[in-house]
Amino acid sequence: MVSEVKHLVRRFICENFIVREEDFTDDDSMLEKQIIDSTGVLELVAFLQEQFGIPIADEDITPDNLDSVERICAFVQRKSNAIPSTAMAMASRRTL
Amino acid sequence: MKRCRQCTLPETYPGITFDTQGVCQFCRTYGEGESIRQRRATLRERFAQLLATERRPNGYDCLVAYSGGKDSSYLLALLAREYGARPLALTLDNGFLSPQALVNMDRVTQSLGVDHLIIKVPVEIMRQIYARSQRQPLFAAKTLQRGSAICMACIGLVKFLALRCAIERQIPFVAFGWSPGQVPLSGTLIKSQPAMIRAMQRATFEPLYAVVGEAVRPYFLEERHFRAADRFPYLVGPLAFSPYREDRIMASIESLGWKRPTDTDANSSNCLLNSLANRVHKRQFHFHPYEFEIAGLVREGILSREEGLARLTAGEDAQLIHRLEERLRPSTD
Ligand SMILES: [Zn+2]
Repeated sequence: MVSEVKHLVRRFICENFIVREEDFTDDDSMLEKQIIDSTGVLELVAFLQEQFGIPIADEDITPDNLDSVERICAFVQRKSNAIPSTAMAMASRRTL
Repeated sequence: MKRCRQCTLPETYPGITFDTQGVCQFCRTYGEGESIRQRRATLRERFAQLLATERRPNGYDCLVAYSGGKDSSYLLALLAREYGARPLALTLDNGFLSPQALVNMDRVTQSLGVDHLIIKVPVEIMRQIYARSQRQPLFAAKTLQRGSAICMACIGLVKFLALRCAIERQIPFVAFGWSPGQVPLSGTLIKSQPAMIRAMQRATFEPLYAVVGEAVRPYFLEERHFRAADRFPYLVGPLAFSPYREDRIMASIESLGWKRPTDTDANSSNCLLNSLANRVHKRQFHFHPYEFEIAGLVREGILSREEGLARLTAGEDAQLIHRLEERLRPSTD
């Protein structure tokens, strides 16, 4: 399941921010590498909410949660675990 | 040139893909009408509630990034009249505003009885930004898909200046005139967080500091601002969740004395520099810097596809561009 989340997140970043897979590692800070800009953060948040059905509060929108693929995956995992039913349906929304 | 059959995005837009029907990926994943209407209604309610609880009886409720253009003029009216807020209008005058835009700002703020703060940028800063934007990309690729480098530079300056000003004056909301589709709906009403603003500021500040130097510092947040975490405002784009119709917007602001400038290009209702910024961008990147915004408006049904295309293919005012180039010529060699 973790690798599925990672795959979907990486694919979104590549498609939406027009970068290639080899341009960023899972640990890279995407704001620092200028892959994501300030409006891009909002696009990423909208994607995570819709794709994984997780609620994201204003105070969740921090670099600690969202600045790298690794951090995003951990964040999605934590949020999903908080809602058991969503965790089950996770990653199934738009892939259908 | 091949363009999406639903919106207007062209084949030259970075990363675009078309399906067999000739529809782009942005149109394919665009949400359904009913849920969007519902979400907009919820946002309007939430904003009204927050405004009521955060209201400052002795000060301003809302700092409005006010360009003097059509959208932010309407935004100011919406906040003052519909929401009953007490706004402070903040304008970053880049020195290239249409004279009519300056008249419009005065008429609108006077008609609404709104206080107005104008910060005028020295032309030398704009010269340096312009010179650099011609040589190499000033911002990240993604940023330059949303607008020209010059436009994004001014937007970046005004965004952080507005934040700084709101924190200093303890104003609980900063409002922007984002049109529907410019920013995801879930991002149109958010409480800002110091850590994220710091990271976002870096992405805007560093490229501008590299070009302009110390002169850009006053537009950005300092350490003392970041320490005042409890003063970080909500960022809100009320036009994105309000009924947005060109004819209603025009009727509303014209009743306040606003008149459309005749000297700006088809995509700006306040800034003359836009036409030159667009030309530089088109030459470098081979797509119009308004492609993203116009496609969003067409997708939302605010512009017809024909109206969108007309704005994207409107001719240039060669004399105006020449005058702008003269003014932006480096002052020393
Ligand atoms: Zn399209």
